[in-house]
Amino acid sequence: MESAVTKALKMMAIALPTMFFVIAIFYVATKALHKAFPAPVEDEEEEEEEDEE
Amino acid sequence: MEALLAQYPWLDELLMGFLGLSWKHIAMWVIGAILIYLAVEYDYEPILLLPIGFGAILANIPHSSAVSTHPGEEGFLVVLYQGGIANELFPVLIFIAIGAMCDFTPLIRRPSVMFFAAAAQFGIFATAVGAAALGFKFEHAASIGIIGAADGPTTIYVASRYAQDMLGPLAVAAYSYMSLVPVIQPPVVRAITTANERKIKMGFLGEEPVSDRAKFLFPLLIVLIAGIVAPISVALIGSLMFGNILKVSGVVENLSNTAQNELANLVTLLLGITIGGTMTAEKFLTIDVAFIMGLGAVAFVFDTVGGVMFAKLGNMFTKTKINPMIGACGISAFPMSGRVIAKMALKEDPTNFIIQHAIGVNVAGQVASVVAGGLVLALIPALTK
Repeated sequence: MESAVTKALKMMAIALPTMFFVIAIFYVATKALHKAFPAPVEDEEEEEEEDEE
Repeated sequence: MEALLAQYPWLDELLMGFLGLSWKHIAMWVIGAILIYLAVEYDYEPILLLPIGFGAILANIPHSSAVSTHPGEEGFLVVLYQGGIANELFPVLIFIAIGAMCDFTPLIRRPSVMFFAAAAQFGIFATAVGAAALGFKFEHAASIGIIGAADGPTTIYVASRYAQDMLGPLAVAAYSYMSLVPVIQPPVVRAITTANERKIKMGFLGEEPVSDRAKFLFPLLIVLIAGIVAPISVALIGSLMFGNILKVSGVVENLSNTAQNELANLVTLLLGITIGGTMTAEKFLTIDVAFIMGLGAVAFVFDTVGGVMFAKLGNMFTKTKINPMIGACGISAFPMSGRVIAKMALKEDPTNFIIQHAIGVNVAGQVASVVAGGLVLALIPALTK
């Protein structure tokens, strides 16, 4: 029978790397999404105007 | 007194409030009053601490009809608990509201910030280990660790499944420490960074503006990936992203506004008072609750350390240095953590504006905390088998 501490350590050992793995997938997918759908020129100008405001 | 009650049985009915009163009830009134005081006087998460404080008082009046569990005479707080928390409905509705309020643009523009947010979830797991070492059983230890997500709805969601008896203190700890971010984070950040590191300036080189289409597709993308990796997280991340797509689609402005205002306010009101209703003296006045409160602070400290140390580690391998303080914003306390860290940078150097980077990491913290919550939900049953 495993103790609660062992289980908690096991959870950390599994969850943290999995967390980074999932985030890495998010990172790659978000990069690809951003690249696939770049902001048109008008959007850029709008954002700049918003920033100025 | 007993002889009097035997002679006049109706007195028992009239005086049951007085007769049932104990010091524990009074102590809980004081705790409820403190929560209300903190909300009103110091503006500490008032939208939650005020209803929680009032709910705690209602739950600790002897024979209170608000928390009656007699079949057919269930109190309204019991009915709300069964209808909104036991079945996880309220946290999910809150996530729809939060999603509608979130702007993921800084995250899409610089997705690398998500790694800081992942590192800042370290507090969850470190605290779970600490709680287990203090004698809590694993399911409870993991639920206590979730306070480190700095995300009230996720804490409630996990607790309602695996630590129902601790729901009140867990929610109070989560929301209290979220409001104490300006007190907890700065000393921790200062202790683990040098003055030179805190003065690092960050540019926006290579960061392109984000198109509306990318903003629209982002929530769908995240739901699909998170859902496939951890299907148990779909309720949390799905509702968060549903709220966001209402906003970014631009075609259902009324629904988006309703989610951000009416839904958020109504559910927060019910959630708060219902959690307060679970804070009965016998559940709250225990040594375990004192431990939970202490461990909550530990969770926030370890989150901050995890995020900042990860940023410092990154600086060892990259040419373009980042200000390691932004790692601390990877928690879900949005936008408070981002603002606190940006203010710290300005204090070190009045020309150092890192607010956009800090807020980007802070937004990523919203996503990462839900992913962490999903992983904990998946791992608790897997490891208790």
